[in-house]
Amino acid sequence: MATKLAFTVNGAPRAIAAPPQTPLLYVLRNELNLTGPRFGCGVAQCGACAVLVDGHEVRSCVTPAGSVNGKHITTIEGLPALWAAGQPSAQTGTLHPVQQAWIDEQVPQCGYCQSGMMIAAVDLLSKNPNPTAAQVKDAFTNTPPSPHLCRCGTYAAIVDAVLLAARTMSTGKAG
Amino acid sequence: MRTPIEAPITSTLSRRGFVRAGGALFVSLALPAQQAQAPAGNSVDPTQLPSWLEIRADNTILARTGRTETGTGMSAFYAQTLAEELNVRPESITLILGDTDRTPDGGYSAGFLTGALNLRKVGAYTYQALLTLASAQLVVPVTELTVTNGLVSGGGKQVSYGQLVQGQQLDLKIPISGTPARVDATAGNGLSGLDGYVVTGDPPMKPISQYRIVGQSYPMPGIPAKVTGRTKWSCDVKLPGMLHARMIRPATLGSTLISLGTLDKQRFPTAQVLRKNNLVAVVSPDEWEAISAARAVANTTKWTAWAGLPGSDNLTATLRAVNWGAPCETHGNAGTVATALAGAARTISASYEQPYVRHAPMGPYVAVADVKPDGAVTVWTHSSHSQGLRAQLAHALSVPVDKVVVRWLDQAGQYGRTTFGGDGAEADAVILSQLTGKPVRVQWTLQEDLAWSTVSPGWVADIKAGLDANGRIVAMQNDSYMPKQMDARLLGAILAGLPCSTSKPSNFLALEWVYDRIPAVCQRGFGMTNLAAETPAGGLRGNIMRTPGQRQQNFVLEGLINEAAASAGADPIQYRLDHTTDQRLIDVLKATAKAADWEPRPSPGPGARKSGPGTLTGRGVNIMRRSNAYWVGIAEIAVTPETGAVQVSKFTIGLECGKIINPRQLDRCMKSGLIMGLSETLKEEVTFDKERVTSTDWSTYRILTMAEMPEIRTVQISRDDQGFGTGGEAANGICAPAVAAAFFDATGVHPRRIPLTPAYVMRLLKT
Repeated sequence: MATKLAFTVNGAPRAIAAPPQTPLLYVLRNELNLTGPRFGCGVAQCGACAVLVDGHEVRSCVTPAGSVNGKHITTIEGLPALWAAGQPSAQTGTLHPVQQAWIDEQVPQCGYCQSGMMIAAVDLLSKNPNPTAAQVKDAFTNTPPSPHLCRCGTYAAIVDAVLLAARTMSTGKAG
Repeated sequence: MRTPIEAPITSTLSRRGFVRAGGALFVSLALPAQQAQAPAGNSVDPTQLPSWLEIRADNTILARTGRTETGTGMSAFYAQTLAEELNVRPESITLILGDTDRTPDGGYSAGFLTGALNLRKVGAYTYQALLTLASAQLVVPVTELTVTNGLVSGGGKQVSYGQLVQGQQLDLKIPISGTPARVDATAGNGLSGLDGYVVTGDPPMKPISQYRIVGQSYPMPGIPAKVTGRTKWSCDVKLPGMLHARMIRPATLGSTLISLGTLDKQRFPTAQVLRKNNLVAVVSPDEWEAISAARAVANTTKWTAWAGLPGSDNLTATLRAVNWGAPCETHGNAGTVATALAGAARTISASYEQPYVRHAPMGPYVAVADVKPDGAVTVWTHSSHSQGLRAQLAHALSVPVDKVVVRWLDQAGQYGRTTFGGDGAEADAVILSQLTGKPVRVQWTLQEDLAWSTVSPGWVADIKAGLDANGRIVAMQNDSYMPKQMDARLLGAILAGLPCSTSKPSNFLALEWVYDRIPAVCQRGFGMTNLAAETPAGGLRGNIMRTPGQRQQNFVLEGLINEAAASAGADPIQYRLDHTTDQRLIDVLKATAKAADWEPRPSPGPGARKSGPGTLTGRGVNIMRRSNAYWVGIAEIAVTPETGAVQVSKFTIGLECGKIINPRQLDRCMKSGLIMGLSETLKEEVTFDKERVTSTDWSTYRILTMAEMPEIRTVQISRDDQGFGTGGEAANGICAPAVAAAFFDATGVHPRRIPLTPAYVMRLLKT
C-alpha cells in the first residue's frame, strides 16, 4: 500500500507516495530521476547502489524507503552541493573534491560501480580525513555490509583518487 | 596551445592518384549544409563522407563509428587518431558510437587495431580534400599549405576548416569493402561480417614519427559525465508507457515449463505474467511491483526436473572422458615433434586445467525494446557489437535487418561476452514488447546473470617438451581440450523457441609464437560442444572472454617454460632469452626485469618448503605476444602453508605495444587488466551441481577485492617503427603463469590449476 514519504534529497525536500518497503534505489531512480545510484546485485554485496543517509553510506538496494523517512539522502548528483554547504567560500558549480579527484586520476573505466565508490570515499573521508593507502584498501574491502567491487579492476586508481581528494579537502579546510 | 606541427603534412597524392587508390574525390559546393545521409531502411550509406564526419562552421567535428566504448578508452583513442590525421585538436571532435541508424561502418569492438583504421583513413581522405579546397580558396598550391588546429595557412593567408565548408557539402566518396554483420551458419561463431564495412584505399596518412596528439595523455571524454551523474546509461532509458520486466528462468538448465505460477492480482494489481514457450516474465509499470510479483510467481511456477550436468567437481574427469576426435586446428607437425621428442636427452610433461569462469560485470544485463505495430523494432543496448546484435535480433524475429534499429549507451563492461552481438537481455525485451505492444525494460538480476549468461569454458591441456643435454628445449607438443567459446545466441530467443545463430564445436589456437629457437613445435586445439548442449536452454553456453584462448593457452605454455627452466636449473628470464631472437620481446623483458629488481637465479628459491609455520615468498615471470604487443609480468607472492593463503604482494608489468596512444590510460588499463587476471588466478570458479549453476552471487562467485590488490609497477615502451599494437585488453593474460611460477619458487610445488584458492593450495602442498 502506497504511503506518503518525505525526505531531504540532495538538499531539497521531496515527497512521494510509495509502499514503504520499496527499496530506496527504485524510489531514487524511478520517482526522483536520480540515476547516479545503480542496480548491481540487489543484495548489498557490491556497492553500486550506495548513497549517503544522514552522511553515512547505505546500500539503497536493500534499504526500505520507509526506513529513511525524514532523513537526508545524498547521491553523487548532490555531492557538489554537499561540499559547497561546508565551504562558505566555495563557488557554485564546484565539484566535490572526491568527484574532481575521480576525474583527475582518470578512475572510471566502464564506470558502473564508481557512483558507489565515490559515496564510499566521501563516507571514509568524513571519518578519516587523512587515510593511508592501506586504510583506504581496508575501508573499501572490510566495511560492512560488503566490499565495494569493481570488475574493470580500477582499484589502484581509486586509491590514488581518495588520497588526492583527502589532500584537496584538507587544503580547503585549512583555507 | 599544442606545439604547431613543425613538418607540415603535404599531399603527394594527385587527383588521379586518388582514383587509382580506389577512391574518388568530388568537391561539390552546390549543396547545402552537411548532413549524414539517412537512406531508407534505417541504415547510413558508408560511401558518403558526411556519414562519417561533419565539419561544422565553428570548426568542430562530429565523427561517427559503429564501434563502441567498453571502458578501455576507445572513445579517446578514436578522437586522438582522427585528430592527428586532420590536424585538429581532439577536444574539437565529438563522437557518435554504436547506433546502427546513425553510424556507417558497424564492426565489433574487440580492440583499437580494427576499430580505428576506418576513422584514420576517413580522416586522411578528408584532409586531402580540405587541402584541395583551401588551395582553391587561398590560391596557394597545396604543397605550400600548412594546417594547425584546423586552420589552413599559406601565402600569408589563412582559412579554417569551418570557413572552407560553411554552407556547403564536402562531397567526398569513401571507398569501402566488406559487408555488415549477418547471421551465417557457415561461420564458426555464427556471424559473418564481424568487421562491418572497411574503408579501403591508401590515403596518405601522417607518419607516426610526426605524431603530436597520439602519444599524449588526452583525458577520457566520458569521465566527467560519469562522475557527476550526467551520463545516460542503458539502464536509465525511460519511454512513455514503458513496462518493467523481471524474467522467471527455468528451474534447471534442462527444464521445460509445466505450468505458470499464479499472480495475486490483489497484491499486484498492475502486474501481468507473460509467456512464450519457456520464456516467462512478469511485467508491470512499477519496477518494484514487477520484482515482487516475479518472485511470487516464480515460487509457484512448475518446471520439469532435469539433472544432466556432470557437477563442477567432476569437470576434469568429464573432459578427460570426452572422445575429442580430430583437432579443430593444428600448428606444426605432430609427427616431426614426436620424432624430435624421442631423440631428446630427456622430456618433461605436464597437464594443466582450469574450471569454468565468467565475465561477471558489475551490472547484470539490461535492455529496453520498443516494437511498433508495423513490426519496427528499436532496442537500447550496451552490447559491444550493435550491428551484430541487430543481425541476431532480425534473425530471431525473421525480419529484414532494416526493421531493426539498435541504439547504444554506456553500461557495465562486458569483457567480450557481447562481441558476437549475442548473449544479453535484448531478445527478452523484444519478445515482451511484441507480446504487450508496449516498450519493455528487462533488467536481469545478479543471480540470473551469474546463472544464465554465457561462460568461459573450463579446459584441460597436455604439454610435453624435449630438452637437450644442456637443458634447452628442442621440441614441444601442446594440446588443448576445451568446449567451444563461440556461442552467441540470445537466451530469450533460445527459450522462446525462435531462430538462433549457430556455432561450431571449435577450439582455436590463440598463442602468437615467440620462441623461435625451439626447432620443432606442434600445437593442437580439440573442441567440443557446450556441456549439456542438448537441453532446451542450450547448456552451459561457451563464449569468448577477455584475451580469449590466449590467456588459457598461455598458462600452459608459460607454465611449462617455467617448469623446464627449473628442470634445467636456469634462471627463468635467461631461459626465455635463450629461446627467442625476437628483439622486441628481449627489450621489454630486460626492461621489466630491471624495474622489478630481478636477481638471476633458478627456481625454487633457497628457502622453499611445502609446510611449516609462517609465510614463504617467491617470484615468477611470464611473457606473451598478442596483436603486435609484447607483455611481461613478474609476480612476487607470499604463501602461508598452514592456511593455504596466497597473497600477490607486488606485480611488475611491462608492455611494448608499438606506438603508445595515451600513456596515462594505458597505465590504467595495464593495472586494471592485471587485477582481473589476478582475480581469475586466485579466486574465480563457476560451480555447478547436476542441475544448475550454483555460484550465483558475489559470495559464491568471488572476485578480487581492493585489499587483495598488490603493489603494481608498470613499464611502458613506445616505438615509432612498429605501428600500433593492442594495450587495453590483454594484461589479464600474463597473471596466472607468473603467480604459479612464484608459488613454485616459494614452495617447490608446480600449481597446474587455477584458481589458487586456500583449499586447493592446502591439497597441493599435501601431495
